[in-house]
Amino acid sequence: MHSQLPIDFRQTIVAQHPERLSQIRYLLADSGLGLDNDITLFVEAWSGSQLVGCAGLAANVIKCVAVNEQLRGENLSARLLAEVEHAALERGHFHLFLCTRPCNRERFARSGFWPIAQSGNNAVLMENTPQGIERYCRSLRAKRKCGENIGAIVMNANPFTLGHRHLVEQAATRCDALHLFVVREDASFFPFSARLEMVRAGVAHLPNVVVHEGSQYIISRATFPAYFLKETGKVQQAWSEIDVLIFRDFIAPALGITHRFIGSEPFCDITRQYNQTLHDLLASHIEVVEMPRIKATGNAISASEVRRLLKTQQFSRIREIVPDSTFAHLEAHYRASAEVA
Amino acid sequence: MKIVREALAGTQESSDLMVKIAPAHGELEIVIHSEVIKQFGDQIRQVVSDTLCAMNVHQGLIIIEDKGALDCVIRARLQSALLRAADEQAVNGGALK
Repeated sequence: MHSQLPIDFRQTIVAQHPERLSQIRYLLADSGLGLDNDITLFVEAWSGSQLVGCAGLAANVIKCVAVNEQLRGENLSARLLAEVEHAALERGHFHLFLCTRPCNRERFARSGFWPIAQSGNNAVLMENTPQGIERYCRSLRAKRKCGENIGAIVMNANPFTLGHRHLVEQAATRCDALHLFVVREDASFFPFSARLEMVRAGVAHLPNVVVHEGSQYIISRATFPAYFLKETGKVQQAWSEIDVLIFRDFIAPALGITHRFIGSEPFCDITRQYNQTLHDLLASHIEVVEMPRIKATGNAISASEVRRLLKTQQFSRIREIVPDSTFAHLEAHYRASAEVA
Repeated sequence: MKIVREALAGTQESSDLMVKIAPAHGELEIVIHSEVIKQFGDQIRQVVSDTLCAMNVHQGLIIIEDKGALDCVIRARLQSALLRAADEQAVNGGALK
């Protein structure tokens, strides 16, 4: 129970003590790390009056872990992680993810973290349980469908448009069964439960489509190791790769997926790059089928357009680009009360 | 004793261990990581299974990160974590030897 030097641990709630961040920022910079702005809590390690280590927590993702160079080799990062795990559990997060550089992989593996996927020399995603992804795959295997062509689509559906429905319908005609994952992360305009409901209603007429609730393992905050790579291009690439590798190596085999269907992306750079990563990494494993977007009145249909129209209450134009089921939801929840009356 | 919630006990200090427990339906899964697994693996596994048996635990996920703890420390940390993870308030003193 004795360590070489006396270290005191302290917790900093970012919202309550923003002034303490400046020291943390310096420490992170020494390790070539930036400070992510979604971190709500830092565990700090102090040796006397010097900040010698820190580890941040954003929901159930540990990031921005740094240890003063002179103190490396003292098992300090393991102690920091243990402190973070206790703090996270107090906040209701037991299942934790951690993104780090591959050179730290062994160190964290000795502190109770298991690797899930690695993007070259850029990033590795780990979790604090040896059977997290395994257990998830087991639950997926229970939903396996028979057939030669098994498709998959991942969508946020924020909200579900005619474009989404077209993609699902086209994919469904080409598959014996189609697994449709709705992104679970509640970071979008429409909450997860509403998006899921709109998707279920919008594909109810297709008997071979299975709608899945998304998980931490598909396009989530956990699969986004954005913080430690300075160049944004590299960040997006690492994120895309980790997510696609998890799909390729765990999710697709669990469900026997042979095809991944995606919509072409004329608007969003991140999605376009993600599509490219799918082409690159799935090649020779799973066939990637990219389908052009359908158009309504000249423009490609997009969910962001629906959100824009919603802001200005242009329901007649929304009606042209979403299925009736989505329209009913939007009208019930978002039409200004004055207009209804 | 039934494990109804997730719980932690211990630290990653040298000579200590960290225990993580989570509910699991119908199975008992025990994962042990130890820096001294080669020398004392059997002994550690024995202490863990004896403790689980004494506390009547038959399902759950038990993860142990051992940093070279003594048997009495392993037992104490595991008991703490189990009590935090269980739904019972009353402690059976006999089982906690």
